[in-house]
Amino acid sequence: MAKVYTSSVVNAPAAKVWARVRDFNGLPGWHPAVGESRIENGEPADKVGCVRDFRLRNGDRLREQLLGLSDYDMFCTYSILESPMGVENYVATLRLTPVTDGARTFLEWTAEFDCAPEREAELVTNIGTGVFQGGFDALKRHFGG
Amino acid sequence: MVRVVKSTILDAPVDRVWGILRDFNGHDRWHPAVKASSIERHLPSDLVGCVRRFQLQDGSELREQLLTLSDLEMTFSYCLLDTPIPLFNYVAHVRLLPVTDGNRTFWQWECRFTTRPGEEAAMAKMVGEQIYEAGFEAIRGHEQLAA
Repeated sequence: MAKVYTSSVVNAPAAKVWARVRDFNGLPGWHPAVGESRIENGEPADKVGCVRDFRLRNGDRLREQLLGLSDYDMFCTYSILESPMGVENYVATLRLTPVTDGARTFLEWTAEFDCAPEREAELVTNIGTGVFQGGFDALKRHFGG
Repeated sequence: MVRVVKSTILDAPVDRVWGILRDFNGHDRWHPAVKASSIERHLPSDLVGCVRRFQLQDGSELREQLLTLSDLEMTFSYCLLDTPIPLFNYVAHVRLLPVTDGNRTFWQWECRFTTRPGEEAAMAKMVGEQIYEAGFEAIRGHEQLAA
């Protein structure tokens, strides 16, 4: 089982950062790698169990299912149903925690998955620095640090 | 039940911060409120269940018991046994997490307690500012962090 852990700090209160990332259909609005997204079967994006079907700017298509969503604890957990990445049993969580010192936000994005052993290092790097840190960097730009 | 949660970011790797914080008998070496610390019955300070006796700067004493300690999770929990201030049923948790972006540390210090009616806000302010936030600032200036 491969594991990815990426964390960062954004200079904005957690409630504001959460408002930007909680929409399971909202990746195109804040993540630079994502081009378009829709929720299957016309379901609400905060209905646990809903599936998002989205396209990356490089043309890749992914389907992911919302497994857990908490506005109280500010986390979102999802799994990959279909992707060109060659991963299985992929489950990821994006979690926000307030930093009381300075009204900032501590963000963690974690994933666990199975893959071919020779591809693990490459996938961990691509997911951790590309997808997760890439999203954090976009949030830092949006919130000014 | 009163809940106090304070957290900060330290500009140092998490292993280094944990190296200072994990010693349940070491708070007299960094926390400005603690004058002296000892573990009762000469138990090791990482033995879950051990009791530390603090002498505070004003001369008063308190006793706290280590409830959990995890080097894997970089967490520990403790409760107050005897205290000169009206903090009852006090259980605190310290938690460190790595900030991979910049090799920094997220540090959360939280507790729950009860106190005398009408003193909730004053006690929460005292614990949050004089214990937790003062502790953050003391570690921020600790020479071992720069080592």
